[in-house]
Amino acid sequence: MGVFAHEYPNEAGIVRAALASSFVALLLGGVMGLIQALHRTGYVQVIDDSTYYTVLTLHGVSLAILFSIFFLVGFFQWAVTDSLDRPSEDIRFTKLWYALMVLGSIMAAVPILGGFIDQTEISADVLFTFYAPLEAHPLFYAGLAVFIIGTWLAGIDWFRSWWAWKQKNRGEKTPLRTFMVLTTMLMWYLASAGVAIAVIFFLLPWQLGLVGGVNPLLTRTLFWFFGHPVVYFWLMPVYMMWYVILPKLAGGRLFSDPLARIVFVLFLVLSVPTGIHHQYVDPGISEGFKFLAMTNTMFLLLPSLLTAFTVVASIEHGARQRGGSGYFRWLTDLPWNRPAFTGMALAALMFAAAGFSGMVNAGMNFNYLVHNTLWIVGHFHLTVGTAVALSFMASTYWFLPKITGHKVFSKRLGLVQVVVWFIGMVFMSNAMHRIGLAGEPRRTADPFYDGVTFETSLGTISELHAQIALGSVLLVVSLLLFAAHILLSWFNFADKDAPTPDTIPPALSGPEHAPAVLENFRLWTAIAIGLILLTYTLPIAAIVSGNGWFGPVTTFIGDTSSFLTGLFHAVFGVIP
Amino acid sequence: MSSGTEHEASPDTLDEPDDVWEVDIEKQIGHDEYDPVGTLSLITVYFLIIAFLWVFMYFVEFLGRGPTVV
Repeated sequence: MGVFAHEYPNEAGIVRAALASSFVALLLGGVMGLIQALHRTGYVQVIDDSTYYTVLTLHGVSLAILFSIFFLVGFFQWAVTDSLDRPSEDIRFTKLWYALMVLGSIMAAVPILGGFIDQTEISADVLFTFYAPLEAHPLFYAGLAVFIIGTWLAGIDWFRSWWAWKQKNRGEKTPLRTFMVLTTMLMWYLASAGVAIAVIFFLLPWQLGLVGGVNPLLTRTLFWFFGHPVVYFWLMPVYMMWYVILPKLAGGRLFSDPLARIVFVLFLVLSVPTGIHHQYVDPGISEGFKFLAMTNTMFLLLPSLLTAFTVVASIEHGARQRGGSGYFRWLTDLPWNRPAFTGMALAALMFAAAGFSGMVNAGMNFNYLVHNTLWIVGHFHLTVGTAVALSFMASTYWFLPKITGHKVFSKRLGLVQVVVWFIGMVFMSNAMHRIGLAGEPRRTADPFYDGVTFETSLGTISELHAQIALGSVLLVVSLLLFAAHILLSWFNFADKDAPTPDTIPPALSGPEHAPAVLENFRLWTAIAIGLILLTYTLPIAAIVSGNGWFGPVTTFIGDTSSFLTGLFHAVFGVIP
Repeated sequence: MSSGTEHEASPDTLDEPDDVWEVDIEKQIGHDEYDPVGTLSLITVYFLIIAFLWVFMYFVEFLGRGPTVV
């Protein structure tokens, strides 16, 4: 038994490469965030208003797609290899999916960066939510497709490892971490199908001139088919960290292994048929379908609340093993001096707050209060911007030694970094929520309009703008500290000894208590597909029957599709 | 297998000097002895906070305003 980097050098190399790609995207995206925050609050404006949307796209795509997904594939590769205790079945295949993800990233980045250069027509100022009618250069869509195919192959790679393990370990429960990876990837296959169809069949042919147009509502719906569950693609690895790493760092044991498995199965089943809750104000979708999406979304609170219980109970177990007592006093017996623990615990605290703002977003009536305002931006800076980003950064302090073979540079520096991030986000996100309630819109370079004033119930709008600016500066300071710290640790500037291997302690209630049906991935996937069909078939049929697959059609392919659509209607039109 | 909740930890694998499992554990608490009352307390507080916020958001922020232009 040794350090992962020495036991599995090839796999550790892929994990390091994925993390390095992730951190480059994090730094780039974070700096873009600072430019935006200072621009729209009016403090420092180094770009034109028109360039703001290029910056916003770079911010969104870098952080929401590249940083998060590169990190999680690296983390998942470690989780699978380490928990199954077997190398990749074919390391060339592992290198292939990583290479495809890098290629896709570069292809998507080139047109986005083209937006900064006036001399070229190439651009992709379409934001992270890249549905029509916004148009990007075809290379952007092609890059995204290649990137997503890379993630699909990564999933196949992990399923291959699991299958090979299963042949040798018949009758045994899948190790928890691999179980979590596999359920996450099954969810991701279902979720990413929406955006893959949108890109390959609609947006890319449209930008290549193969079809005359698209049906914007259809591409929006397909985007949100992916756009909501993608947040669970970011969150499920974080849940794995909270379930597996956090209790160990607290000095405790996971409260219940079967409960953790149930949570991941629930995410597989419930994540996808929820996307229409992003479209409550879209006029082309009936209220009934929106109500169904709201119901599904509220059901998703269940696995998150189960997680709140299990993770807190596991941490409390650690505190009590370390001598903690009382109803609240045990909180002081947690290892708050360790950056990995503190960062993840603060991230979880922020996620609890995000749970509330998420319930507001998901309510059909409440949503009208906050739709398209800065409230939404405040919400997802608590979820992906803190629960995910801060957990990823904090866990790196525990995780990095396993893949580099030497310890991190300084715990104290790590602690300062995670706390600064937390404070920065408290300022920025709180102010964003309150500004949103005052009605200030999101996705705009200049939120100030003649004759329009935004009234807040407490304080003034300019005070809140100052809080956003201050928060964003603190966040970038934290980010620079993180980047410097990772560089110092990665190249072992402190010349620290190699870490000794450590072990994740067994759960209080182990996998032997988990019912066998939880291992039936086919069953859960089939139920998930059934729910998706129930939720999406009728709305998509209604959207297409209203405006066609491609909107106004003027080309051969478009006319052909129009003909086929007509045929579809003729056949199914006889059914009342 | 180098780690995983599915396997019992052996003492010789917990030798990282800064590992709380090695230096800070006062007593091992098993499944049947553990009663997570602190978790219940925290979750009760959380529930009260979100219940209050929900009431505030609905009656003050939502009903207290006129029609919204989104």
